[in-house]
Amino acid sequence: MIINGFGKTGQRKLKAAHVVVAGIGGLGSPASSYLATAGVGHLTIIDSQRAKLSNLNRQMLHWGPDVGRLKVESATEKLTTMNSNIKVDAIFEQITSENVNRLTKGVDVVVDGMDNYHTRYLLNEACVRNRVPFIHGAVEGLVGQLMTILPGGGPCLKCAIPKEPPKKPLFPVLGATPGVIGCLQAMEAIKLITGVGKPLVGRMLIFNGMDMTFDEIKVNQDPSCQVCGRQGR
Amino acid sequence: MAVTAKFFAGFREATEKKQASIEGVNDVTSLLDELVSRFGKKLAERLYSSDTRELRKTVNILVNGRRLDFLQGLNTPLKDGALVAIFPPVAGG
Ligand SMILES: [Zn+2]
Repeated sequence: MIINGFGKTGQRKLKAAHVVVAGIGGLGSPASSYLATAGVGHLTIIDSQRAKLSNLNRQMLHWGPDVGRLKVESATEKLTTMNSNIKVDAIFEQITSENVNRLTKGVDVVVDGMDNYHTRYLLNEACVRNRVPFIHGAVEGLVGQLMTILPGGGPCLKCAIPKEPPKKPLFPVLGATPGVIGCLQAMEAIKLITGVGKPLVGRMLIFNGMDMTFDEIKVNQDPSCQVCGRQGR
Repeated sequence: MAVTAKFFAGFREATEKKQASIEGVNDVTSLLDELVSRFGKKLAERLYSSDTRELRKTVNILVNGRRLDFLQGLNTPLKDGALVAIFPPVAGG
């Protein structure tokens, strides 16, 4: 890369990095694609589902013929074709309180590609505990949100959104929305790995495609946060 | 004394405003009451569930970047100059 601040050193850092993409759906597809093509040397992708026809509008790594296949299998195939110089580990598991520690410990960055807060909170907690940066993203309709959690360096997901929003049976999502947010998640991960730029810490980005606006909400760490607060530990 | 309410995503659509400066409110409840009286039914429907009149779980409020205190909740006091962000967290992926 010949962008200022990247260069050969940056490329080597990317090559040496290990990123976990948790969920390989609407967010995980673009995020992992841009991480793979940027040359992140080791990607672990985690997903417990099979590709469905209704996923194809936004989950760009799964194509028509992949319906019924494991998402991790379909995604690994595409990612290693995009860049044969990287290692992709496919983990066909549901993320639970039992395995979340093992899945996140010791990695450089975890990217949130989940579709529910229950698992997001598990990842948030494990990442804070293991001091792994966690890049939160979520989408619905034409709205997306993004926040980078840097353990010890700012608020966590629970500081910003303390209570799980109610589960909806169905999330209508315009495919381009997770496209936007997933790409931004990849960008945040690349910035953290290379040490370039200023991460989205202590601020939540709200993207609204309806009026095509990007806004920031300031988020402060809550000292009483049960995950990252001083009193909580 | 005045506080600033900032609206995001669906709340901006309901109010057709990015933000509003509100005078004479001293906690989050009184701010929301004032916002409803100013912006009407569209905002009220997004804030409160129609049957219980409780704040919807789809509403997230940060005061000066801090989440509402678990104990005080909507009674969290607002000081002069407070910034109150109101947004609906999305959940999909
Ligand atoms: Zn926290």
